[in-house]
Amino acid sequence: VPGVGHKYYLQFTTEDYRSRDSAGSCLATVLFEQGNSPPAVTISCVDTKDEKQIQEEDNKFYQKIKQQTKPIMANDIPDSYGNIEPALEPVWALAVVGSSKIMWEKSTENLSYSMAQVKSAKQWIRQDDFVEFDYTVLLHEIPTQEMISCHLRVIWLPGHPMKVKHFCASENQWFEETSGMESGSAAGILQEKEQNF
Amino acid sequence: DQVLRVVAGDGAQLALLQALGDREELQVDFWHGPTKPGHPTDLRVPFRNLQAVKSFLEANDVAYSVMIEDVQELVNEEKRTMTLSRRLERSTDTFDFASYHTIEEIYDWMEALAAEHPDLVTRLQIGQSYEKRPLFVLKFSTGGSGRAAVWLDTGIHAREWITQATGVWTANKIAKEYGKDPTVTAILDNMDIFFEIVANPDGFAYTQSTNRMWRKTRSLNTGSSCIGVDPNRNWDAGFGGPGSSSDPCSETYHGPRAHSEREVSAVADFILRHGGVKALVSLHSYSQMLMYPYGYKAEPAPDRQELDALAAEAVRDLAAVHGTRYTYGSIIDTIYQAAGTTVDWAYERGVRYSYTLELRDTGRYGFLLPAGQIVPTAQETWPALLDIMRHALEHPY
Repeated sequence: VPGVGHKYYLQFTTEDYRSRDSAGSCLATVLFEQGNSPPAVTISCVDTKDEKQIQEEDNKFYQKIKQQTKPIMANDIPDSYGNIEPALEPVWALAVVGSSKIMWEKSTENLSYSMAQVKSAKQWIRQDDFVEFDYTVLLHEIPTQEMISCHLRVIWLPGHPMKVKHFCASENQWFEETSGMESGSAAGILQEKEQNF
Repeated sequence: DQVLRVVAGDGAQLALLQALGDREELQVDFWHGPTKPGHPTDLRVPFRNLQAVKSFLEANDVAYSVMIEDVQELVNEEKRTMTLSRRLERSTDTFDFASYHTIEEIYDWMEALAAEHPDLVTRLQIGQSYEKRPLFVLKFSTGGSGRAAVWLDTGIHAREWITQATGVWTANKIAKEYGKDPTVTAILDNMDIFFEIVANPDGFAYTQSTNRMWRKTRSLNTGSSCIGVDPNRNWDAGFGGPGSSSDPCSETYHGPRAHSEREVSAVADFILRHGGVKALVSLHSYSQMLMYPYGYKAEPAPDRQELDALAAEAVRDLAAVHGTRYTYGSIIDTIYQAAGTTVDWAYERGVRYSYTLELRDTGRYGFLLPAGQIVPTAQETWPALLDIMRHALEHPY
């Protein structure tokens, strides 16, 4: 759009992340105005997935997590070989959703992301019904090929919109120096910053 | 040393056994501790204390039998079978293609493949990595001299594990299909295939020991604490241009100069010296794309139409195997601008059929592709590779 920016017209299908079943289709426009971020988005979708089924699956997920007697703590999901322990699948799935919020905010016309791995997951047991997790996730940034380490806090209850807080390390220099170390030390630094967030 | 099996008749005998265990000087090691009367207790007794322990048991009317006459012999036997099975692992029939392997396992397997197919396969060393690991290439040749050749490589980016794994399966497939599959046979009867499975061994080792997400080489950069150069930005084609970084800390750092990386210069020198490479395919992951030059500039390659048509065919044949959808086109159109890539360099040196593939998946697992997808990925990539090689065979230049 001369003098304004670039407008994209998108038509795409959606699929259930776990089952890969078709879940619907969407039409969208995305306008990147020169110097403006984030872009202006209009979108309309047709969902072919049954609302009740979604609720049931959410509840099953929720129950699986609630059933745990000790707070869940895990590292490297998936592991180096791509394995995800079945019991940790819901933990991974929550991280995927939480990461998508980070990616939504960070993506630009020239930068896109995928969640590469959950480096660490730690559950905080709450007095109320909500499920709460602290994550360190690695986001794979294209085309720079960088791995961006982000601290993610997710608070969720089926039927409620997910609350997501995040903080990403932006200096690749910093990440490079800690790439060989335990994620514990990185999380320690990020924890502090989180208080002020 | 022997292992004795004792059955305590009553509580008193049980107490005796426990007391026996308490006598430190006898060094009795319970393999199955004393629990209840009537239940067996197994104890290992060092040779020098055997007499004392047996006398003690006999004096107290505790029945025992000798379960293992000689523990050392058993240990030796076990060690023998373990070494044997590890040697068998290197035989290509028992090699597990459906799992990820270490460099040592892959290098050993390469040696075994060459040993099993001495008239077809040789393992060559074309150079050394920065950390002095050998750079091995499998040469598939049925003889002749001055033959045209195909170059294949996998693993140039360390974290793209599906590529090395696909490389192993594919190399095995080539060896096994010669003489059986008419296309493979026709190709190898006229051309040689050079296959470098671990193009970046230092990086690969680092992904196994320290950082699974490492991409680059492991060379030290003067004046920087950051390590490594992106081996797919280090080639002399549009070197240093947009689509690569001059920052040593960047994942797409092009290096101080073109071919500064030993892993790159070894391959470049080999291909130039050979002089007859007609097709080159460099495997990466992930994104499910099949691409031809250029990456460093938008200008279409002179052979674009032919390259595009062949890409379309290869992608169709790939999809036919398991339904996996690939996009295709020039690098700059399909994925992003990238300067100093293997494929652009090869093309500009006269290798007309230069392609790069990004294997599975499209981001769900990304680099951490589950091992269960190794064989399906290799299976579907196979016809695409054959299409490219066959086309080179049928269109000599």
